[in-house]
Amino acid sequence: MSPDSIPVRSADTLACRTCGAGAPVDEHFCPNCSRILALGRHGDFFSFLGLPRQLNIDLQELERNFRELSRKFHPDYYYNASPQERLASLERSSYLNDAYRTLKSPAARIEHLLAIEGLPAVQSEGAATGQPANTVPPALLEEVFALNEELDEIREARESGADAASLRKRLETAREPIDRKREEHEAQLEALSTQWDAERDTAAVAQQRRTLEALRTVLLERNYINNLLATIEREVASLGNL
Amino acid sequence: MSKVVGIDLGTTNSLVAYVGPKGPEVIRDSSGDALVPSVVSIGDNGTVYVGREAQRQLLVTPDRAVYSVKRFMGRGIDDVQEDAGLLPFRVGGEPGGVVRIGIADREFTPPEISAFVLRELKHRAEQFFQEQGEFDFEVDRAVITVPAYFNDAQRTATRDAGRLAGLEVLRIISEPTAASLAYGLDKKNRGTIAVYDLGGGTFDISILKVEEGVFEVLATSGDTHLGGDDFDNLVIHLLLRDLELSGHDSTPELVQAIRKAAIHAKQELSEQDETEIRVGPSTALPAGYRRQMTRNEFEELIGPLVERTMAPVRQALADAGLLPKDIDEAVLVGGSTRIPMVRRAVADLFGRTPHSDLNPDEVVALGAAVQADILISGRREMLLLDVTPLSLGIETMGGVVSKIILRNSTIPATGREMFTTGVDNQTAVDVHVLQGERELASDCRSLARFKLRGIPPMPAGLPRIEVRFQIDANGILSVAARELRTGLEQTIEVKPSYGLTDEEVERMLIESFEHAEADFEARLLIDARNEAESVVTATEKHLRRRDFDAIEQELLPGELQRVDEALQALKDAVGATDRDAIQQRTHALNHATKHLAEITMNRSIREALAGKNVKDV
Repeated sequence: MSPDSIPVRSADTLACRTCGAGAPVDEHFCPNCSRILALGRHGDFFSFLGLPRQLNIDLQELERNFRELSRKFHPDYYYNASPQERLASLERSSYLNDAYRTLKSPAARIEHLLAIEGLPAVQSEGAATGQPANTVPPALLEEVFALNEELDEIREARESGADAASLRKRLETAREPIDRKREEHEAQLEALSTQWDAERDTAAVAQQRRTLEALRTVLLERNYINNLLATIEREVASLGNL
Repeated sequence: MSKVVGIDLGTTNSLVAYVGPKGPEVIRDSSGDALVPSVVSIGDNGTVYVGREAQRQLLVTPDRAVYSVKRFMGRGIDDVQEDAGLLPFRVGGEPGGVVRIGIADREFTPPEISAFVLRELKHRAEQFFQEQGEFDFEVDRAVITVPAYFNDAQRTATRDAGRLAGLEVLRIISEPTAASLAYGLDKKNRGTIAVYDLGGGTFDISILKVEEGVFEVLATSGDTHLGGDDFDNLVIHLLLRDLELSGHDSTPELVQAIRKAAIHAKQELSEQDETEIRVGPSTALPAGYRRQMTRNEFEELIGPLVERTMAPVRQALADAGLLPKDIDEAVLVGGSTRIPMVRRAVADLFGRTPHSDLNPDEVVALGAAVQADILISGRREMLLLDVTPLSLGIETMGGVVSKIILRNSTIPATGREMFTTGVDNQTAVDVHVLQGERELASDCRSLARFKLRGIPPMPAGLPRIEVRFQIDANGILSVAARELRTGLEQTIEVKPSYGLTDEEVERMLIESFEHAEADFEARLLIDARNEAESVVTATEKHLRRRDFDAIEQELLPGELQRVDEALQALKDAVGATDRDAIQQRTHALNHATKHLAEITMNRSIREALAGKNVKDV
């Protein structure tokens, strides 16, 4: 069972369920009869929220557009409408909420961009099971190896009755290089995001592709680092129970 | 046009409100009381009593009354053992199924009991609209509130209760957000608000961002098992221990008398530093019972419970990505926030005095009425964007939960999951839906089990079945499925883990029509009693006048004796359940006092005209 990939945006027009006229997929309301449109196979949260497909977005504009569209779509305002419109309002509101939540978080925003640009899915942060994925990203091999060795030793020491305070100190020390790695990755993500924004209208497709691939690699590593940090947190928590 | 109302269906008390020409208002009874105690009792002849009347029955025949039923909504017998032990009514049901409550020789599910309370509120509102001279006073639609932290099963049970009471439930909304709507009415301001809602049985904390009339919930948390009831129980236990030490057995009647005294003491200690707890003498306790309690002593008892509310508050703040200092306003909701210690705890945490300008008992019902008005009128000045309080997931291999919609997601929300088959030509797949934050399915709340049927026979792993989860604006889940290779819609059989099936709700509706006659009779009896009591009160007022000696001079020979007899006869009838007798004797007393009333009225008029001179008469 794997999470479904986000449907890729289709260029087709959409038939209005109320009057039958065709409407472009980016429209929310039928240009012909002005009723709310059923949700087609959309897939681009940026255009849905009226934003350019870039990674540094104006969060206030995002919020404003979200509020404005909420006021247009929300099921509260379709109580007396036809069943088709009520369904469309439910679908469109749900989709809007999804889109807003995704674009609010910088990491989820990058993941979404990669998906709509056709790159393979990155395991989403929220759906993480708490266990590091099986394959260690090559760039992190050294850190992961050192950390696992230290964690094994700490567990052994704990079993043979070492005091919690000294073990906690060792965990903190073990955490330091991982924290540094995370900071590095956050900085890389920011730099690559800015690079994408600059290239997206001007650069050659091959160059854009390279930037997206780089974003994906760094994002995968970052998610892996977060899982490592979660593992350390769990070790710290288990000391608290001693 | 029939009427719509907002209903706060509480653990201890319930209320109904509507939006009138002057804004939202709570609907009160003739004596000005807005609260209907959420108590239901069944009389000897099967009649159902609700509210104050049921509360009176609770003291006399505790085994025939039910209260705090909100604690059982959408729950299984295995969840409620601890509560069941403290309550005087029988609680049963199949393990893994819905709770059944036994009173007298009848058995009810929690939604049926709640439906009695809702019917009472519906009746109260209809009577009010009728008195207002409305042509169409029928109330058939309502917004009903639930604790923010209620899960899907608890919300569904509440909606079922509404249906059973003959109400179309326009929307289920959460109590703290409803309160924020009521608060936000006359304020055009913006900011971040924390709503701390401590009611009779539940605790909620919601963090909202208000901007341009949009009330967006950022995060919510709570404890559906923490409220004023728990404070009462601590005092009750203390008193029972005292009594046990002095060698008394606790009978259900004694426990109810003690409960009443404990609640009274709790309320007094919000106003004063010390109170005397008094339980009158009874067969079980011939000498009665007295004890002093100081506010300090009470606070020592409840301190740990008040502290327990702080963990959800911190969780909600963390989920919203905020610190206590980021909160612009804190709002108190729920009767238990009258307790000074609770107010102090909230003030200390947020570093500001919390708002309590609106009556904390009434603010939720007012907000529900506002939401009902928005739905019906289509007015768009305000919009409530609530969240789902708990993550939704499905059970995967090894009993681990895979989360599909995360907690604090704005609703409506959707989630998708792909399924396939494990065996060649398999035509059905089992799906187990859960709600909660824990990793293992066994630690989460089971919502339902589905069977996806009608999968076209294919080699294992080839079918691609997309299951779509939709949480609607009520916070209630629905599921749809489709096999993507063939485009076939799948049939889904829903078996709610702790809820009623549609068939069960239908059957209960039919049963409730069958009982409607008895229930209608109960209603008429209560109305007759109320009328009788007001005539008795009026008569006694005449007889107690300071100028009664002079009045008596004007009466005909034997007239006073006839009044006394009619008064006594009516008082006797009110204590029994013969409605015809009550009505006849009310009429008789009215008739017997007609002359007396005329005399006193004439005297009052003369006094008023003559000024102060007649005062010494």
